[in-house]
Amino acid sequence: MRSAPRRPVRRAAGAGIAVAASIGLAACGSSGPVASASVSKKVVPLVVYSAQGYDSAVTKAFTQATGIPVSLDDDSTGPLLTKVQAERNNPRWGVLWVDGDTAFAGLDQQGLLLRGWEPKVSWNAQGQSVVPKDGSYVPTGLTMAGTVVYDSTKVSSPPTSWQDLLAPQWAHEVGMNDPAISGPTYPFVAGMMNALGGVAQGEKYFSALQANGLDVHETNGDTLQALEVGQIRVAIIQSSAGIGASLKDPAIRVAFLDPVTPIPSAVGIDPKAPPAEVAEAKQFVQFVLSPQGQQAMQAGDPHGDSLYWPVLQGVSALPALPPLASVPAKAIDPYTWGRREASLNSWFTNNIA
Amino acid sequence: MALLDIPPGRPAAAAPPDRWSDGAGLDGAGLDGAGLDGAGLDGAGLDGAGSRRWSVGASVAGHVGRAVRRVPPSIAVWAVVGLVVLVPVGAFLVQAISPRPFSQGSAWLTLANLRAVLGGHTAHAFADSLWVATATALAALTLGTALAFLVHRTDVLGRRVWPIAVWALLLMPTYLMADGWEYLVQPGGVLQRLGLPHAAMYHMMFGPVGVVLVLTMSGVPFAYLTMASALAGLGPELEDAARAHGAGRLATVRVVLPVLAPAMLAASAIVFAESMSDFGVAATLAFQSHFPMATYGLFAAIDTNPANFGQAAALGWLLVASAAIPIYLQTRAMRGRSYAVLSGRTRAPSVRRLGAPVRVAATAVVAVSFVVALGVPLFGAVVASLLRGFAAGGHGWSIASYRQALAAPGFLGSLVLSNQLAAVAACITVVLGVLLARMLGSRHRGRTARAADLLLLGSMALPGVVLAAGYIFAFNLPIASRLGIDLYETLPLLVMGYVATSLPSQVRLFAGPMAQVQESVLEAARVHGHGPLRSWGRTFAPLVSRTLVWAWLFTFAKTLLELPVSQILYPPGRQPISVAIGNLLGNQHYATGTAMTVVGVGEMFVVIAAVLLGFRLLAPRGWQRIGAVRGA
Repeated sequence: MRSAPRRPVRRAAGAGIAVAASIGLAACGSSGPVASASVSKKVVPLVVYSAQGYDSAVTKAFTQATGIPVSLDDDSTGPLLTKVQAERNNPRWGVLWVDGDTAFAGLDQQGLLLRGWEPKVSWNAQGQSVVPKDGSYVPTGLTMAGTVVYDSTKVSSPPTSWQDLLAPQWAHEVGMNDPAISGPTYPFVAGMMNALGGVAQGEKYFSALQANGLDVHETNGDTLQALEVGQIRVAIIQSSAGIGASLKDPAIRVAFLDPVTPIPSAVGIDPKAPPAEVAEAKQFVQFVLSPQGQQAMQAGDPHGDSLYWPVLQGVSALPALPPLASVPAKAIDPYTWGRREASLNSWFTNNIA
Repeated sequence: MALLDIPPGRPAAAAPPDRWSDGAGLDGAGLDGAGLDGAGLDGAGLDGAGSRRWSVGASVAGHVGRAVRRVPPSIAVWAVVGLVVLVPVGAFLVQAISPRPFSQGSAWLTLANLRAVLGGHTAHAFADSLWVATATALAALTLGTALAFLVHRTDVLGRRVWPIAVWALLLMPTYLMADGWEYLVQPGGVLQRLGLPHAAMYHMMFGPVGVVLVLTMSGVPFAYLTMASALAGLGPELEDAARAHGAGRLATVRVVLPVLAPAMLAASAIVFAESMSDFGVAATLAFQSHFPMATYGLFAAIDTNPANFGQAAALGWLLVASAAIPIYLQTRAMRGRSYAVLSGRTRAPSVRRLGAPVRVAATAVVAVSFVVALGVPLFGAVVASLLRGFAAGGHGWSIASYRQALAAPGFLGSLVLSNQLAAVAACITVVLGVLLARMLGSRHRGRTARAADLLLLGSMALPGVVLAAGYIFAFNLPIASRLGIDLYETLPLLVMGYVATSLPSQVRLFAGPMAQVQESVLEAARVHGHGPLRSWGRTFAPLVSRTLVWAWLFTFAKTLLELPVSQILYPPGRQPISVAIGNLLGNQHYATGTAMTVVGVGEMFVVIAAVLLGFRLLAPRGWQRIGAVRGA
């Protein structure tokens, strides 16, 4: 973690105005923004808003490789997207790195992403399929939304289809996240609706699931914890969380029901950032997709977000992941479903959670 | 603290004996003019502090009134409060009707957001919050009053321990209490693992009953402290007077209750507002129980993608109104009354001696209350963090999660940073709180000051996430950046955010004791040749030093593990401990996150103990015994 500011001079002036707070912080002996004002003219700190578990490792490797200092805001997807939206009059981020192309499509439709730029890389087939036509964001890896995770010592016959979960056998035994809070869960909800034939059919399915005692938690961690303590027997969570849990506890198994929805992790660039920072942001994306960057991604959070399927030719997934060809994945159109995110999240919170 | 945690057996800061004789004599006039008109505990008011003026004679009241009039509302203080609290809250709330200025919608003026939250699910959530807050206020008032009476007015065992337990409870984050209960009673939780029955407890706690129970326990300290002050200030004379006039126990209670009524109203208003604004329980126990509450609805509107700030702001208006209305009515009922009774002289309240069986039973009641409030959730959280199954499957006990927590990169740096920020925020809040409390004691405020005061009170009902988002809107304006006022995502702004979250409730809780210091003590010091600062140092500081120490600790504890403001406002690269914990919990490292929380809370209590020990060792003896300052 670094403390280099994006606009040190202005920050210094601002800090001067907050007299009381500044005096107090001076007493802390903190090396805050004011203290680190000496950056070279051409190199500005790159502000990265990221929810990835490996972001700290990758940004450190990037700085080491390029000398460009990074200011990392490592947080959950929800608060980061809130900040991006609240800052829209005066954006402070240079790079946004979270899971879910529907979220990026939504930001793109609001004009909050730099369009028309693509890194020079060799995508594999899966990667190419999730690259947006307008070049507004760049995929960096794939995970699956809505994988079924269970404890094999407690569940001998796991569900084999989504309809199975509506059976009395699974009453009050199934848990999932609230898509309004957990970013990677909306693609699961949208994917189910897409697979079932539309919003109405999807709402009917989730209502039936809820009538069967669906247990809704806030995030992957909460739902997984409910599974681990035995509160539920089946958790519907993101594949990286499930596979990560299976690495810690071999009794935990992950099943991919047909279909599961791929979630690209992606990077977007702030179009209003200063030109120097935009250039650095492009350099950052290029680095992430380089062999060195992929290595850092795979080493940074080996029991969590590092468990992704690469989108580049020549890069293999970590051994814990099954071959992507064996996963019944069915992608959704991020722009179509991104437009519906607000209303469907609201519906889910109001009627299911 | 002056009137909030008077240790049993210690002389309470109360009206001086000579003043009591003015109005509280046995001739009945004192009772009439004092307590029975309901005015006696005005300051108790909302300001919490069980003060009374029913014994203060007309000449004294006039004197105090003149003194109060000489305290002008300070424009500078209101400007700071405006900058720290009112502007960000206003910038957020205005989006309910006008989202365009902040580019959050196309309408310059719209009522759509208000209409949206007044129907359907959000209305349901708001109604839930209203009845829960009402039930919580009543329950906390009942329990808090009973505990205060037993601890301060009877010889119940352990009287030196219980006030400390009250403070520990006050400083305990509500989400931790809720999590502790969850860990304990949920299927696969601590009770089940220990082979104890859990099903009935699970069904009770995971629902409205559990929500009200946890919120009541977190509200008890507010009610306790307010009522303890009122009871301490009451003295035995009123009861004696009633009994001397032939009143039985019931009639005596009828005499005493109206005198306590303002304090009870104050306690209820504070607990109500705290419950309305609570997010810790709404996001944990209530959410898990499919029991929607207003603060969670507001959070969901902000946290979802895309964020719906307009609807969140409309919900914010409802929350502000729900807290402001009872507080306004309560303030209005108290208006025009002085409550400056603390002059440095003291009078010990009478302590009722209980028979042995009653004493044991009373002690059991107090002990059980604190065990349920404090012990059970702490036990749940600590045991859960030690159970291997909460970490990564398997069974048995393990301290692996603690090892991982302590070894987590950046953990110590984040903990140190949070301690520094909390300490600075606490210092600033105490200074602002003292100034505001003195100003709120004035009966001659202008309309603007009263309106600002009301908004300040109303902001108590807003969860931290509102302030956090409001800070972005208010302090990340393009024009401000162009002018070089670039505060957003700096540590000073984060501290301001912390101050804003603590200031309203701190002012409410501590205004009473502050305002009880009579101007005459300051004037006496001035007459004897001291300058203004020295006068404060020699008179005011000794009288309120304990209050200030507790006020500092109150903000420190609230800030150390604060999440919503930290999450939104922390400068990239300077992660507070609460954000680090949140990321661990959200990234499937549940046990490590829980262990880190326990470590953080443990460290918080170490700091609290160190500060209290330091005060005991370093502060002059007279400062520690409020009222015994004649020689100071």
